[in-house]
Amino acid sequence: MQPFISNSPHRLAAALVLGAALLSPGCKRDQKVQVQPTIEEEDTPRLASAVPMNVPKLAPQLVSGFYPIENNSWRWTGKQFSVLLRPPTAAAQRGAVLSLEFSVPDPVIQTLHAVTLKASVEGTALPPETYTKSGAYTFKREIPASAISGESVRIDFALDKAMPPAGAERRELGVVAVSVSLGPK
Amino acid sequence: MSRARALVGSAAYWLSPPLVCLALHWYDFRAWFRTDDFAWLGLTRWIYSWRALWYALFLPLAEGTIRPWSERAFFMAGYSLFGLNVLPYRVVIFATQFASLILVAWIGRRLTGSAAAGWLATLFWMANSSTSIPLGWASAYNQVQCGLFLLAAFALLLRFLETGRRGYWIAQWAVFVLGFGSLEIMIVYPAVAAAYTLLCAPRYFRRTLAMAPVSVAYFLIHRAVAPLAAAGDYAMHFSPAGLLRTLVRYWAWSVGPVYLRPSYGTPRWLLEALVALLSVALAAFAVNRWRAGCRGVAFCLAWFVLVIAPVLPLRDHVSEYYPYLPVIGLCWLGAWAVVTAWRRGPAVKSAACAAAAAYLLMVVPQMRAASRWSYRVTVRARNLVEGLAGAHQLHPRQQLVLDGVDSELFWHAIRDHASYLLGIEHLYITPESAAHIEVHEDIGDVGEFLVSGAVLTENLADGRALVYDVRNPQLRNITTLYASQPHSRDLPLRIDPSDPLISNLLSPDWYPIEIDHRWMPARALVTMSGPPKRGLALYLNGSVTSQQLAGGPVILKVAVEGSTLGTASIRSNDFEFHFSLPDSLVGKPQVAVDLSVNRIFHAPGDYRDLGMSFGLIAIR
Repeated sequence: MQPFISNSPHRLAAALVLGAALLSPGCKRDQKVQVQPTIEEEDTPRLASAVPMNVPKLAPQLVSGFYPIENNSWRWTGKQFSVLLRPPTAAAQRGAVLSLEFSVPDPVIQTLHAVTLKASVEGTALPPETYTKSGAYTFKREIPASAISGESVRIDFALDKAMPPAGAERRELGVVAVSVSLGPK
Repeated sequence: MSRARALVGSAAYWLSPPLVCLALHWYDFRAWFRTDDFAWLGLTRWIYSWRALWYALFLPLAEGTIRPWSERAFFMAGYSLFGLNVLPYRVVIFATQFASLILVAWIGRRLTGSAAAGWLATLFWMANSSTSIPLGWASAYNQVQCGLFLLAAFALLLRFLETGRRGYWIAQWAVFVLGFGSLEIMIVYPAVAAAYTLLCAPRYFRRTLAMAPVSVAYFLIHRAVAPLAAAGDYAMHFSPAGLLRTLVRYWAWSVGPVYLRPSYGTPRWLLEALVALLSVALAAFAVNRWRAGCRGVAFCLAWFVLVIAPVLPLRDHVSEYYPYLPVIGLCWLGAWAVVTAWRRGPAVKSAACAAAAAYLLMVVPQMRAASRWSYRVTVRARNLVEGLAGAHQLHPRQQLVLDGVDSELFWHAIRDHASYLLGIEHLYITPESAAHIEVHEDIGDVGEFLVSGAVLTENLADGRALVYDVRNPQLRNITTLYASQPHSRDLPLRIDPSDPLISNLLSPDWYPIEIDHRWMPARALVTMSGPPKRGLALYLNGSVTSQQLAGGPVILKVAVEGSTLGTASIRSNDFEFHFSLPDSLVGKPQVAVDLSVNRIFHAPGDYRDLGMSFGLIAIR
């Protein structure tokens, strides 16, 4: 019997070590697996001058007011929406042309009768336009060189009216945006 | 000089079986994890107290098995200490196997009276094609460890019979009882010991019977806490004809390759003829030795029959590694036959060598092929898991969706939630991948990982999800490419409310995700796809609190597209219901499911009106 008595502390210690080992996992999970590098898309994509609505990679340039892509091609906007674009070459000297391709759906005209779209570039207001018929449009405006500086330009759009949430649709809907771009003058 | 030579000879004798084992099973030694391994490794996630540790070690899991040493402790201690570094696990598995090999040689030497036969038995065992899985798949370590318990207990019995020292008898008992924590097969040990003593040491026969009540008690306790399956693959069938058929099948897989798979283009008939020939040769040798008064041959056969016996009633779950331990008996017998024949005339010697060569030529290629396959699959699993770790490290807040997943990768690396080990609670596969994965409803549900086209498109657009191509060893982020291609716009048939990607399909009433469920207030909506065909039902599972039930049953009302589907009276905390869906909903791209309960409650300190929590809402 003597060996059993003398061994018991070792057994207890062994049990405690095993128990401690088993109880320790949660805190060191990150170190428990070797990490393999992945092949990533461009790490830091250059800001684009043109943002088609159906390119998820460019979604970070849609600052606010855009809903998810629909039919793999377009997005509903809210009443106000903003986008960040890269100015074309020499825009700071020559200015640029802003183009918003969008459509005004039937339900918008039926509900609101007319919508007016305004835009401003870094605080400089551009001439507004009013749409009284449904259909596809391009909102095209020249931007003065004085409004452009640096590597990016923020464009803020605003509609005077938008469709309020109704029924199952809980979003406030403006127009259907297809793409937005800054081109050379 | 002669002493040194004897020492070298002895070292070579005892060390060569492990080295041969390592050479033959080199692929198995380098294999990584796969399949169930991830579920066992994941047990550690739940251990945050001694009580949880106790449950994790001893609660019946996976077909009601309780194997604390060979599965629970092996994986949990391994993961706690070494994470997913496979080498320590492999070292333990192979060290256990090496110890068993030494015991096989030692026992074989005593049974046959020939050191050569003992050594040859280890070679025959390691070459057998049933050995690949136990050595190459960590989840089958229970077989390897149980083998050591079984052989060690029997070796201690032999030592007791040789020396009469009581210590060996007690040690045998201890090993026998501890062996139950390794694998249920240990239940046969009293029969093994009884068979040996009856045949070779009758004076001790009655003494060995004293161990039988322990096996009976284990069986009764095990059955009480983990009842036998009444249906499915693990149901037991005891018809004599069925048992005999299964026995013959395992015999054939022991004497020849598992599944009788031919190698080198050998015709099937030739393989069957060789298996029959070897079987006749073994039987002839056994009869011959029996007539000469040698009872050990009968014990070798008894070992095979007794150790395979527990799996014979599993008629519908035959497994290639089940002969792994039983075949040891035939390896002793075969080695004994070869060594005996070697001492006879050239004709008998040649016939024995030819028989041994035929056996090795049949089993080694299959064993190696199985090892290579296992190794290749585990390498794929490793690339995926470690690549996922890299992706998760780069994008910890985005959900990862895998494209290019095939059946092999899904069932061996994804289904058992290896991602949990990385802290990834939700892992998805694209609809295109899911369409190519073989369905095995008895094993798992591909739908658990599937993200529908509509949900994926929306989440990709919002930057909440990323798509990785897993067709190559290195994972590749293909989010933009994937999103730019046309995809299905289907809504899901299965809504897991705790899935962060389907939030837009839940009405705003739902409360935030709570690990694996979400609470709703008295009423909430879910949008999902309509049933694709007739005869499907809406399945719901979830839970209510005891506080709610204290006031009587909670009534759940379910309506779809404005029409009431039915009501259910909930009387216990957890519930699951099926509501038949009307044919009018078939083919609808979208249906709104309206859920409401008649009684809410407020948890202490919680301002929310809590109605019911759901784990799954599915059409199936």
